[in-house]
Amino acid sequence: MIFGVRRSVALATSLGTLAAVIIAVFTWKGAPVTSETFLVTTYIGLFLGALWAMYATGLVVVYTTTGVFNFAQGAIGVFAAFFYWELHVNRGWHSLLALFVVVGLFAPALGVVLDIVIMRRLRTASLVVQLMVTVAIMVLLLSVVGDIWEADTPRRVPYLFGINNGIDLGPSQLPWHRLIVFVVAIAIAVSMRFLLRRTRIGTAMRAVVDNRELAALNGARPNVVSSTSWALGSMLGALGGILIAPELGLDPATLNNVVIIAFAAAAFGALKNLPMAVIGAMLIGLLRAHTGAWLDFGPDFRFAHLSIAPLLLLFVVIALPQARLEVGRLAHHLRRHERYTNWWEGLFGCGVVILLAVMFSGGWLDFGGWDPGSWGSRELNSANEAMALALIGLSLVPLIGWAGQINFAPLAFAGFGAFVYLKLAGDSGNGYWILVVGLLCAPLGALVALPAARLRGLYLALMTMAFAQAMSLIFFPHPWVMPIIGTGRQFPHIELFGVTFDDRRGFFLMMVSVFAIFVYALVLLRRSRYGRRWMAINDSQAAAATLGVPVVWTKVVVYAVSASMAGIAGVFWATVSGNVDSVQGFDLLIGFNIVLLVAAAGVSIPMAGIFLIFIPLFKGFGLRLEDAGNVDYLVTLLDIMTTYGPGLMVLGMVFNPRGAIFEMGRGFSPILPWRSDARAEIAAENAQKREPEIGELGLERPFTPEEVIAIDRRLEILDDVVPKEGYGAPRS
Amino acid sequence: MALLEAEHVVMRFGGVVALDNASVDVAPGLVTGLIGPNGAGKTTLFNVVTGLLPPTSGTVKFDGKDITRASVSKRSQMGIARTFQKLEAFNTLSAFDNVRVAVEMNHRTKWKHRKVNDVAHEMLGKVGLDEVADVTVGTLPTGSARLVELARALACRPRVLLLDEPSSGLNEEETSSIGQLLLELVADKDNDLAVLLVEHDMSFVMGVCARIHVLDFGKIIAVGTSMEVQANPAVQAAYLGGDEFRGAYAGVDE
Repeated sequence: MIFGVRRSVALATSLGTLAAVIIAVFTWKGAPVTSETFLVTTYIGLFLGALWAMYATGLVVVYTTTGVFNFAQGAIGVFAAFFYWELHVNRGWHSLLALFVVVGLFAPALGVVLDIVIMRRLRTASLVVQLMVTVAIMVLLLSVVGDIWEADTPRRVPYLFGINNGIDLGPSQLPWHRLIVFVVAIAIAVSMRFLLRRTRIGTAMRAVVDNRELAALNGARPNVVSSTSWALGSMLGALGGILIAPELGLDPATLNNVVIIAFAAAAFGALKNLPMAVIGAMLIGLLRAHTGAWLDFGPDFRFAHLSIAPLLLLFVVIALPQARLEVGRLAHHLRRHERYTNWWEGLFGCGVVILLAVMFSGGWLDFGGWDPGSWGSRELNSANEAMALALIGLSLVPLIGWAGQINFAPLAFAGFGAFVYLKLAGDSGNGYWILVVGLLCAPLGALVALPAARLRGLYLALMTMAFAQAMSLIFFPHPWVMPIIGTGRQFPHIELFGVTFDDRRGFFLMMVSVFAIFVYALVLLRRSRYGRRWMAINDSQAAAATLGVPVVWTKVVVYAVSASMAGIAGVFWATVSGNVDSVQGFDLLIGFNIVLLVAAAGVSIPMAGIFLIFIPLFKGFGLRLEDAGNVDYLVTLLDIMTTYGPGLMVLGMVFNPRGAIFEMGRGFSPILPWRSDARAEIAAENAQKREPEIGELGLERPFTPEEVIAIDRRLEILDDVVPKEGYGAPRS
Repeated sequence: MALLEAEHVVMRFGGVVALDNASVDVAPGLVTGLIGPNGAGKTTLFNVVTGLLPPTSGTVKFDGKDITRASVSKRSQMGIARTFQKLEAFNTLSAFDNVRVAVEMNHRTKWKHRKVNDVAHEMLGKVGLDEVADVTVGTLPTGSARLVELARALACRPRVLLLDEPSSGLNEEETSSIGQLLLELVADKDNDLAVLLVEHDMSFVMGVCARIHVLDFGKIIAVGTSMEVQANPAVQAAYLGGDEFRGAYAGVDE
């Protein structure tokens, strides 16, 4: 400690300032700085900050009171903004009425419904499930918005009281809208702080998150409290969305990305400190406005000014103090034998996959009357895309599935892999470089994980998201990284063992083989000491550490392994089409969908990766059916499945956290002749499901009237002995 | 000579003082008890000693060396192992794999000439869990999961073993066999093992502990043999007038 400041804070602050100064010197526009322009820029910055502060306040309120970090906060705002547009612009309601209906009625109702149906059940769920579910809600809300309000109509949300009315500030004008936003945001932050710290419900809200049972014993009503929190959070998200929409335009993706800025602001207050979160939001706002006014990053870094929030998040994460080791959450299940796929079962499974792929692509399998043999390039492209996605998905198995560490940046790692391959192999398409790509991606994974690995798991999730965002804003769009070429293949066909995989069928089979190799490697890895160690830190970091497991290092290693796999997969992802859109191709939202699908499938099981092939395959089928005509309902069905499938499947994790593949495996394994253990387990489980016996009743809970009657019958107590008012009535 | 010493440890959480100048020393070859009412700071002291909590002030010494700033895993490698009051077993792993993780982490340093699986089986056998080796720990009864933690701690081949209420969730018979196991372990000169035991079951504590520290409101209020501690009026006052002790005393004396 120097002058009472922690070393990490000093380090991050000086690093950040240094980086800012260097960047500023090199990118200085040379515009004259006058007190007027400076003031105007500052007020724009404060206004932007106020908007983000509103989102951040919602996040912090929900997190401090429910323990769930809501990734859907931005999407709630998106939905509210579109709904407000519908009422106010499309149907001509008065703006205040529309505002009241959306923020005052709809948003709290949404919050309460979310709480009752989903969030309450997440209380004891693992961080992976909690985050996946809120991300799923985000994706679902965005899909609903996309379906109801189709993107082809241009829409605008007007400013409250118009843009031209306001206070005259000399060189420019401060519209009422912006003034109102600023005042409202500060008022909300202050009143939320007051609510949480000084009121009875606020105290109850903070108590419930620490110990629900204890708080309930002291008179708090946990369900009322958590519904209140979600209603409040949802209202703040909705208000933020409506107020920010006039500034950013009514585009779902743009509006949703605001949430990342809010995350950075919330992280500034260690996710729980409201005043610091507001200061963080203001700081980002000021940085954003002033960099926009004075700095010019040039065409190569055209999105750089948008990456301030992710970079700030990085510096905050470096500055945060080491977290105490997390204590695991105890879940109790029926007695079960732990059994992992062994080496020959894995080999057998991979063999089956390859065999199916050969038959499938060779046209030897007939799927309901149409001939896959006649597949054109479009269908095979779909299949290839699917396999590449499945490979990327596999990289998440050791990371999320075993070590319980979240990574929202699989596509960023994949993109980095593609970039490395492009630079190494160039035009040759030499496949051996793919191995080198794997080696070079590992350190990147370690580097991303290192600052956050000593913190709580949530920070790692935020960190990877910030990383993905920064990569897609700064790195990939740079022309040196992925030059934009008009025609021809940027990524040449891969050449391996003297064979050039230039036809789509051959390429498909090669990817299936790589998939099988990955799966088999994972099967072996899970049975190894490393697999065990990763699963151990997922269950209890504290216990693992007391056995001598270096927790931070172990996390960093598993990130490196995952990044390495994702990097290799990225080469295939880029090679499928030959050209990747450097801006869209590695987008965060696609990354989210990959993570969601693998999680829903059962991310601890290597085969879960196979689920990822469904989306592109369904799309391929859909296209084909559309061509065939007369099957509209099927096309619609497939469309709905591809749009809402991942999100809905993840919501299923609320009830079944181990995922679909796990449950399917449980159903399937007793059929295998050598799995007598699985048959015995099912039998034992069925035996446990018998009716409760009289002797057990009354011990766990009070008797119900029906049970009292049942006991009376068993004991042959005649009706006239039972008091008319029943046993529950007070005796005189 | 004491193997593990916590000296003048103070642990503050905001305004709450969980440990107030508490000193505890643990010697090899015997079981040392740490008792006190709920919330006295026993588990906090364990967390400070194992490195899960950095103390506000005070030092922790192991084998004469100051380890107050050493990491959790470093302390484990030096030979400090523990179990947890609130279960911290690896729930998704089998009992056998729980122990294997511990053996593997200490294989190169402490179990050089033995196979990992053999050691793991031996440790599970010691606590009587051979039969459930393949069962997922999260699906075992609480008492058995506690024994898995004990086997796992033993698999670290510790020089100091910290046990946080090992008997809760066990029946009388199992508790007494754990007591027997502890006495055997410390009696074995090859192990050179020191045990620090936090326990609520007074007859168990009085039966196995050669020396007892009593913690109350974060302060050590008494140190001594079981007889000395029970006779101490401050201890009796801390324990509701000492009724609990009289009962336990009657059991131990016979």
